[in-house]
Amino acid sequence: MRGSDYIIKRTAFAVVTVFVAITLNFIIFRAAPGDAVTGERCRNCTKEFKANLRKELGLDKSKWEQYVIYIKQLAHGDLGYSFEDKQPVAPQLWGPLKNTLPMLALGTAFSIVFGILTGVIAAWRRGTFWDRSSVLVGLGFYSLPTQWLGLMLIFFVAPMLSLPSSGISDPFLEFTDPGWWPALIDRLKHMVLPSATIGLVIYGEYTLIVRSAMLETLGEDYILTARAKGLATWTIVRKHALRNSMLPITTLIFLSLGYIVGGAILIESVFNYPGIGLLTYDAVFAKDYPIMQGAFLVLTVSVIFANYVADLLYFRLDPRITE
Amino acid sequence: MSAELPAAVSQPADLVRAGGGYDAPPPARRTRLRVWKVIREQPMATFGAVVLLLVILVAIFAPALAPYDPREKVGDVYQPPDSSHWLGLDDGGVDMVSLLMYGARVSLIVGFAAAAVAMLVGGAVGVLSGYFGGKTDTVLMRITDYFLVIPDVPLMIVVAAIWGKSLKNIILIIGLIYWTSTARLIRSQVKSIRERVYVKRARALGAGNSRLIFKHVMPQVAPLLIANTVLMMAIAIFAETALAFLGLGDPQKISWGLLIENAFARQAISLDAWWAIVPPGVCVAVLILACTMLGTALEDSLNPRLRVGHLSVKRFRLRPLVGRMDAE
Amino acid sequence: MKAPVLEARDLHVWFDLPDDRELHAVQGVSFGLAPGERFGLVGESGCGKTTTILGLMGLLPPTASVAGQVVLEGDNIMARGESSVAPHRWKDIAMIFQGAMNAFNPVKTIGDQIAEPMEVHGISEGDAARQRVGELLEMVGISRDRADRYPHEFSGGMRQRAAIAMALACEPKVLLADEPTTALDVMVQAQILQLLVSLTHDLGLAMVLVTHDLPLIAQVCNRAAVMYAGEIVEQGETETLYHDPGHPYTRLLFAATPDLYDESNVTSIPGGPPRLDREIIGCPFAPRCDRTFEPCPTVRPELRDLGAGHTAACHLNDPVMRAAAS
Repeated sequence: MRGSDYIIKRTAFAVVTVFVAITLNFIIFRAAPGDAVTGERCRNCTKEFKANLRKELGLDKSKWEQYVIYIKQLAHGDLGYSFEDKQPVAPQLWGPLKNTLPMLALGTAFSIVFGILTGVIAAWRRGTFWDRSSVLVGLGFYSLPTQWLGLMLIFFVAPMLSLPSSGISDPFLEFTDPGWWPALIDRLKHMVLPSATIGLVIYGEYTLIVRSAMLETLGEDYILTARAKGLATWTIVRKHALRNSMLPITTLIFLSLGYIVGGAILIESVFNYPGIGLLTYDAVFAKDYPIMQGAFLVLTVSVIFANYVADLLYFRLDPRITE
Repeated sequence: MSAELPAAVSQPADLVRAGGGYDAPPPARRTRLRVWKVIREQPMATFGAVVLLLVILVAIFAPALAPYDPREKVGDVYQPPDSSHWLGLDDGGVDMVSLLMYGARVSLIVGFAAAAVAMLVGGAVGVLSGYFGGKTDTVLMRITDYFLVIPDVPLMIVVAAIWGKSLKNIILIIGLIYWTSTARLIRSQVKSIRERVYVKRARALGAGNSRLIFKHVMPQVAPLLIANTVLMMAIAIFAETALAFLGLGDPQKISWGLLIENAFARQAISLDAWWAIVPPGVCVAVLILACTMLGTALEDSLNPRLRVGHLSVKRFRLRPLVGRMDAE
Repeated sequence: MKAPVLEARDLHVWFDLPDDRELHAVQGVSFGLAPGERFGLVGESGCGKTTTILGLMGLLPPTASVAGQVVLEGDNIMARGESSVAPHRWKDIAMIFQGAMNAFNPVKTIGDQIAEPMEVHGISEGDAARQRVGELLEMVGISRDRADRYPHEFSGGMRQRAAIAMALACEPKVLLADEPTTALDVMVQAQILQLLVSLTHDLGLAMVLVTHDLPLIAQVCNRAAVMYAGEIVEQGETETLYHDPGHPYTRLLFAATPDLYDESNVTSIPGGPPRLDREIIGCPFAPRCDRTFEPCPTVRPELRDLGAGHTAACHLNDPVMRAAAS
């Protein structure tokens, strides 16, 4: 099969990166000054109690042994126990993740569609008013601090459009049991502002990326050939430049996923939206290391996975990859 | 804010070069002049440079410029703006204008310092990787690839949560996470410089590696490094506000990020105190915008990657032939 | 000589430079092309030959300004700039570019790209187009089943052939070939040239061959023009240019070409061409010429008719100038 080498290579890379992330996760948390037992967690503990706790958490073993145990636990889907509520971490992650994904997907979809639209037009009409204004608008949105944009939307937009600015659903609605459609609308209403926040910030970046990729493509020789063949400008943009630009655009979009995931943390804390971002934020405040570790792992693996998908997509788009 | 902002944001550069010179190293003096030229000529770069300069001046001269002491309570909690307090007071009764002026310091310090760390690490990796090639290159690039895929903000948050909230830590963390884009940029530059005739000539004459690197490669790489550093500043400033918002900033130092966080945590929204929420964010946004504009304008003009476009909605012009009446 | 199918009349091209300056890349170029004729355009890199032929098709960037006429079968197609020249692209004048390696879009098949101009100009589409693509490929020596392959699957020489096939898709009257054999190895070069020659014979195609490689011109072209610093300094039959050049540059160019069997020294022309962003005083070649005399640095030579369609711009051909000097 064409390029099976390529697929194997990319899969191996993804797996190794996950492993690197896991190890990084371990190092950061276990190599921290002091461990889970010192510090604020255990103010009035006796020495004996601390020693017992250490033993229980396996902190008395060597770092290498701890690492091995950690890997083993992971293989079983065991992400440890939360410090706060003593419950296993793993089950606590899925609910919030299910809340976060649609919110991010909505915002990202919006920004990709509009980013491509304005980016293509800016490149096509290079040097004109459309181009310059698109660049300025893009730069403007790109420069806004995410959490602050969220606050702006809450302060100015929410009252104007009577959109909720907190949480994921109206608590009163649950009591009246209205059926799935109103519940869905309610959910969507709560998602609008958070999605809009991530959408607007990322839109700025995407429009610049698309414009830049298009400009680069428009400098390629086959564009001159197309022009010599008598094709109209817009036809060339549509049939040649856009198609070829999708390659670098796809890569760059997936490269920004890391930021989107980080943005989710900021946005969910502003909007009190119960997703994995808010979970991470609360865990940071409560110094609940296992939850932090679990959330970080989930976020990182998601991004690695998304990049892997991007690699496969790239393979479909570019016939030159055979290796 | 992701570290990969595209180039070609400034004015188009459709040029045709006639004739060819031979491949000589441009003197370092000329590249410094080029930077200055870009700032003078490209409006985006001018705007960026001017704003950046203004912020720096305000930060340095804050004690003289600020109307009040930024730690002194001078009125009521969230007192609205009036003639003596143009942007009102915050949740502690402190003058907002003074807070904003002093807040510029942390943003700039973190911006410069973290960008410097990223530049040092990234630059070193890039130069080593590009110059020596082979195994060194492969290994270093592999490491860079892994770093690239792991999401920056969560990593930053996690590390900051564990290592503690001092300014020094923040700077180190930001710098050590964002060095990858610098590394890759520098690496590709170094690779192409290495292949240039005058470097090969120097090598043939027996120049050692370190001499080659410092005398020939670095001066060529320096302008792009500057452009990249300015862009990195924008990212670092953003990162600081994010960390401050999540309570991971240095609580002792006044920063714009901390002001945003305060406004959020102390109910400025429900109390309708826009003067506590809007200004700090505007300041951050304007500074980031200035750095981004300056950085991308510099990068565009210094990066030889910029191509001639073959397509445009504008057309070539016709000129009437003057004074040529005879047609052959 | 038959009525020319394409003529350039006093063609000028300027490019805008920063600081309100201009580059005068093409300075009053005139030549005519008869049907079935192979015309060579020779010169060093940067002398303006590529810009000239791009200008014939109006393939210039917005920073360019054009003056003069491009006459196709009697009509000045440059009369209104882009709008008057665009309709003739590919249908009347087609081009093969320098380095056909990149002239093709890497993510589309060769067949699609050859069929594209036919569909765009309404000449044929669908199955009829595919048929024609097959014919074209065979005409240039590529088997028709390779139409569904991608450019990277073709070798350099085959890609150049495919580019020629693509250029012929709409049955143009004129073919502009910009360095068609540079970057190809010698054996392949010969094949491509052979192909181009037979096409001009079989199809009555007129061709302008742009190159810096003199022996090529000598082999393939009937007539040629030598360009220097944006203008034509000599024009005539290839034989005449070789045996009896009217301009020192032409003579030196031929002399600079190493001959495999000749033991004598290879001469090269010292120095470089002049800058085109400022006005040139006197003969542009004077600084590098080996036969300069009095008028050369101050008076710019005009093209003089030396008989039988042979023209050259050099004071050495002007008895009046020579008399005045001595």
